[in-house]
Amino acid sequence: MKEQTKRIAINCGGGYVPGLNAVITGVVLAADQLKREVVGIRDGFDGLLFPERYPNGGLLKLTPHVVENLSAGTGALLGNATRTDPFHVRQVTEENLVEEMDLSGDLLAKIAAEKIEAVISIVGPRALSILFKLHKQGLRTVCVPTSVENDVAATQLSFGFNSALSFAVDMLERVRQAAQSARKIGVVEVLGEHAGWLALQAGIAVCADAVLIPEIPYDIQKVAVKLREKADSGRTSGLVVVAEGALPQGGQRPAADGAMTESLKASLSPGATGQGGSHVIEGAGRAAQVVAHHLQRLTDQMTYPLVLGPLIRGGSPTAVDRQLGLGYGAAAVRALNENQSGVVVAFQPPDLKFVPLAEAINKVRTVPDDSVFVQIARSLGIALGNEVRP
Amino acid sequence: MNSSPPTASSLKGVVLNIQHFSTHDGPGMRTTVFLKGCSLRCKWCSNPESIYPNPELAYNLSRCIGKDECGFCLPKCRESALFNVDSDAKVRINWDLCTNCGECASVCPPQALYLFGREMTVDEVLDEVEKDSGFYRESGGGMTLSGGECQLQADFAAGLLAGAHKRGINTAIETASNVPWRFMEKILPHVDIVLHDIKLTDPERHKKWTGVDNTRVRENLQRAYDSFPDKTFIARTPLIPGVNDDEEHLRATLAFIKPYKNVVDYELLPYMRFGESKYGFLGRIYEMQDFDPPTPETLARLRSIIDEAFGRSGNRTQI
Repeated sequence: MKEQTKRIAINCGGGYVPGLNAVITGVVLAADQLKREVVGIRDGFDGLLFPERYPNGGLLKLTPHVVENLSAGTGALLGNATRTDPFHVRQVTEENLVEEMDLSGDLLAKIAAEKIEAVISIVGPRALSILFKLHKQGLRTVCVPTSVENDVAATQLSFGFNSALSFAVDMLERVRQAAQSARKIGVVEVLGEHAGWLALQAGIAVCADAVLIPEIPYDIQKVAVKLREKADSGRTSGLVVVAEGALPQGGQRPAADGAMTESLKASLSPGATGQGGSHVIEGAGRAAQVVAHHLQRLTDQMTYPLVLGPLIRGGSPTAVDRQLGLGYGAAAVRALNENQSGVVVAFQPPDLKFVPLAEAINKVRTVPDDSVFVQIARSLGIALGNEVRP
Repeated sequence: MNSSPPTASSLKGVVLNIQHFSTHDGPGMRTTVFLKGCSLRCKWCSNPESIYPNPELAYNLSRCIGKDECGFCLPKCRESALFNVDSDAKVRINWDLCTNCGECASVCPPQALYLFGREMTVDEVLDEVEKDSGFYRESGGGMTLSGGECQLQADFAAGLLAGAHKRGINTAIETASNVPWRFMEKILPHVDIVLHDIKLTDPERHKKWTGVDNTRVRENLQRAYDSFPDKTFIARTPLIPGVNDDEEHLRATLAFIKPYKNVVDYELLPYMRFGESKYGFLGRIYEMQDFDPPTPETLARLRSIIDEAFGRSGNRTQI
C-alpha cells in the first residue's frame, strides 16, 4: 500500500488557455477537501530548478483563499514553461561554455527535498512527452492535457476548446457581415495543424460556404464552383474557413507568390534542399493566403484572407470550460488519491477517466470521415473541397 | 581502463561535413572540415546542425514517402519517437523522445531521415582532404577547420592540423575563440592562418546575442596574438543588421586588433538567412525570422572604414 500524498504541486507547461485557471482552482479546492496542501511551481519547473530567479520564491502556496476569484480569470498565475525542458536546460559552464544539460535528476531531487509527493501538470502535447520521461525516472505525476484545437486523442473534449469555438464563431459572423457589405469572399484561418475540429464546428455554426480541414485534402476548383454558383444566384459574398494545416489534394501547398528565390534554394546545403522550397518554415496565415489567392483567380470576386491564429487562445472561459476545468482539476486530485500515477485525465463522456501517459503521447484526435460533423456540414451544403458532383 | 592512449592518426572526432572547393574559408581553394559542437548560441546561427556535439537526427518531411508505401522507420524506433497522425501518411517525429540513435535513418530510402555528423578518425578525414591536394598547390589553398567551434574537439583538431602539416597541407581554422586557453595552446602551433570572429565588442550585447559575455574571447585573442607572433590572424565579423552593423562595433574592433601586426585584415561576413530551413528539420525554432541581410550601402560604408584603417585605397572586392 503506497503512502497517501500529502503535498501536491501544480504547474503549467503551455501558455494560457481559457479554463486553465479553473483547473488550478479545481485542484486546490479538491485537495483542500482531502486536507492536502497545494503549491504552485512557477514557470513550469523553473520555480524549482532556479528559485533564485524569483524574489518571492519559486513556489507559491495555493489555498482556497488564493484561488477564490481565479477560475473565471485570464491571468497566468503560475506562468508557463513553453521553452524550458528539464532534459535540455541551456547553461553556462564554469569554463564559460554554453551547453544544454540534463537537469532531470536535479529536478527530481528538488521535488523530493520540497516534500512534494506528486505533481499535477497542465500541459500541451509536447510537454506530455517530457512528463512521460520524468515519470519513467520516478516522478509521481498526473497530467491534464490542454489543446484549444481539441486534438488530444485520449479525451473527447479538451478544456479551452469551447471558448475558442465561441470566439471563432463570433469573429466569423463579423467577417461574414463585412464580406456581405463589401461583396467579397472572406477566407478565415483558424488553428488546427493536424485536426480540423475548430474550423469544422465553427464553420457549421455560421453556415460557412466552405470549410477546409487537414483531414480532407481539398480541390480548390470545387470550392470555387460552390462560390460561383452562389454568386450566380445573386449572393455575391462568401465565407470560407480554413484550418492552418489544410492542404490541397496532392499534398503540396501551391505557392501564393514567388516563394523562395532560386538563389536562396541554391545556397542551401545538400542536406537541406527539399522539393520546391516547401521545407521552409511557414508562418501562420499561409493556408488562408493561398486559398484566398486561388479563389480570387477562379471566381473573379475579390477575396481577403484573415488569420485568427493565437487570438483564439485568449479571453475568458465559457461556462462549459469553467465546468470542465474545475472537473479536470478535481479529477487529477482524485487520481492521486486513488494512487494513480503516470496518467492523463481524459473526458470520456459521461466520465472523467485516467489514461496511461504511454497511451496518450504521439496521438492526435483527428476528424474521421464518418464524423457526425462532416455529415452535418455536407447536409447543410457546406463545401469541404472533395465533393463528388452529380 | 588500462588501454594505451590512441595515436593521433586513430583519434576520433565528430565531423559534420567535409566540403570540397571552398573559396570563402581562407586563401586559395580549400577543403573545409566542419566539426560538431559549439560553445556559443548565436541567435542568427545559420548552421544549427553544428551546435550540439554528438550526431543528431534531422527530418525533411517533404521527402517522406509515407507509411503506406514505406514505413520502414516506424518499427525501428525503440523510443516511440516516430508516429503517424490519421490525417497524413507521412511520418512524424516526437523530438522529445528521440535519442538520436540513427536506427531510423539507416532504413529510410529517400533519406528524409538522416544524421547530421558522424565519427571519423584523423586519418579518415585527412585521406579525404588530401584528394584535393592538387588544387591546393595550384591555388595556394589548404585545409580549414570550421564548425561549430572546431577548437572544442581540441585533441582531434590538433591531430588533424598536425597531420595535415605532415602531409604538406596548409592549415587554417575558423573560430570564435570561446574555449579554454589550454585548448588553443594545443591547436594554434599547428595552424597557419587563424580566421577568428569578433562578433560583438560590448560584453552585455555579446551575452544577449550569443549566450555568454566576451571576456574569455578577448583574453584568448590577446594571448594568441602575443604568443604566436608568426601566425597570420584575420579578424571577422558576421554582420547582422541591428545587432552589430554599427560603426561603434567596427571601430572598437579595429582598436582591439590594430596594435597587433600579426592581425593582417578584418573582414565583414554579411548575414544570410541560409540556415532557416534547417531549424525546422531539427525540430527547433528559428528566432531571427524577421532579420534581413545588410544592404550593399551599409556594407560598402563599413568596409571603407576598414580599408582606411588598413591603409588601403578601397574598391576592393570581398565576399
